[in-house]
Amino acid sequence: MTNARPVPVPDERSAPFWTAAANHVLTLARCSHCHSYSLPPGAVCAQCGTTEPAFVFEPVDSRGTVRSWTVVRQSFLPGFDDDLPFVLVDVELDVQAELRMIGRLLDGVDVPLQVGDVVDVAFEDLAPGVSVPAFALVR
Amino acid sequence: MSGFRARNQVAIAGYAQSPIVRHASQSLGTLAVETARQAIADAGLEVEAIDGFVGASLLPTAGGHRVEDGVSVVSPNWLAQHLGTKPQYVAGFAGVGQIPGSVAMAVNAVASGAADYVLVHRALHNPPGRYHANPLTEVGGDQQWTAPQGYFGPLAMIALPYNEYLQRFGARREAMAAVVIEARKNGARIPWSYWHDKPLTAEEYLEAPTLFDPVCRYDCDIPVDGVAAFVFTSAERARDMPHRPVYVGGYGMSAVTRPRLPLHWPLDDIMEGGAHVARNLWAQARIGPGDVDLPQVYDGFSPFVWFWLEALGFCPTGEAHRYVAEGGIDSDRPDALPALSGGGALGNGRMHGVPQMLECYLQLSQRAGGRQRDRATVGVACHASPHYGGAVVYSAEPL
Repeated sequence: MTNARPVPVPDERSAPFWTAAANHVLTLARCSHCHSYSLPPGAVCAQCGTTEPAFVFEPVDSRGTVRSWTVVRQSFLPGFDDDLPFVLVDVELDVQAELRMIGRLLDGVDVPLQVGDVVDVAFEDLAPGVSVPAFALVR
Repeated sequence: MSGFRARNQVAIAGYAQSPIVRHASQSLGTLAVETARQAIADAGLEVEAIDGFVGASLLPTAGGHRVEDGVSVVSPNWLAQHLGTKPQYVAGFAGVGQIPGSVAMAVNAVASGAADYVLVHRALHNPPGRYHANPLTEVGGDQQWTAPQGYFGPLAMIALPYNEYLQRFGARREAMAAVVIEARKNGARIPWSYWHDKPLTAEEYLEAPTLFDPVCRYDCDIPVDGVAAFVFTSAERARDMPHRPVYVGGYGMSAVTRPRLPLHWPLDDIMEGGAHVARNLWAQARIGPGDVDLPQVYDGFSPFVWFWLEALGFCPTGEAHRYVAEGGIDSDRPDALPALSGGGALGNGRMHGVPQMLECYLQLSQRAGGRQRDRATVGVACHASPHYGGAVVYSAEPL
């Protein structure tokens, strides 16, 4: 039996993100008070500290640069066993300094990587209406 | 901060440490009760004298294991209850640097007069089944931002900043062999260690396949069952007790300042947190790294050794990989730092910061037996990541 990859359970703070992701659009939560982005969007805005960020999810430039990576050869989530080995990249999105996002790099484990390589978001379809963000190198 | 008034005012007066095994033949709770009784007797006290209990009861696994007090964890309250005492002060530390965090609370309790004799314990458990494996198929909460994308578990967590370090400073993972071999060499000399008589060779290290590049299995401490307990009291009382007191000079704890994705530990966060720990630690103890002859850096994952050496100023930023590879932390070389002389977590098993604290206590109280070092006057015991942990300064004489 093949284990399924875990799927996100949207909640009131994340639902618009996953709805957009299902249409292969990257959105980020933007604070209504200071207009900066937060990932993850928390109860308190990470940038300005307001307790009423009233986050609005907006489509953003989905490019970024690689800050680090690892090749996963043994996953602790059985749902990824069929995907092993795979690359995870730690990406700083261009849209805001230090805004970091982590995901699979879909180019495979054999491509040479360097800090600073440019990537763009790509989506993996896990189930009808469920897609999660990953990355692909921009050449 | 208006000045740390507990400096030199509190001391360790006794200890006990259970054998460190993969799976104990008795429950964690009974092992904790027996170890606590031994530690109290070691300090020359009756159980009734202990009026303070401090500890942390995190079960550090990403697996879906059940947490049950007395079985998979042992809280200070559970321990006090099962020792049959009526303490004035019972407190649990809830952060990540459990050992320095618990020590800080015990020191504060003694120095303030909230308790006269505080037992600090840590009970670590290795649950049956794969330690970190988790069959979850739906993810809510903060993990929905990482786990569906494949980012999960502590090996991925440490692999990212480790690789960031390699890339930034032109280091190679082969240089980490010196860290792991040193930890296992020292652990092999310790009778209660899981790795007693089992040193590791460079060949074995380099031949091990990576699990989360650049991390291989030997870069990770092995999950174990084990308990340690220490008795803290005032320096004044400790001087009239059976063993030589070991004084607490100060402590530093990290403050995480920037919200991140779950388990995302960028290298800059780690080193900024480490700088904060170092500032507070040296300010409280009024010493600097040059005064320390027994640094015990944390090594639950091997890259932490590099990070701590740099954070505390034992070598320059970006140089730890070279420093260690050239023999800089060899416990057998008089001109090197004995930074893993107690074996650490890699050389003992997943006892968190206990091996670092225990080595400081044993060496500074002159109780290390055949492993006793000629020169051991000021120690530092580190635990966890520099940005999610802390460190404590211990000394053989008041600083």
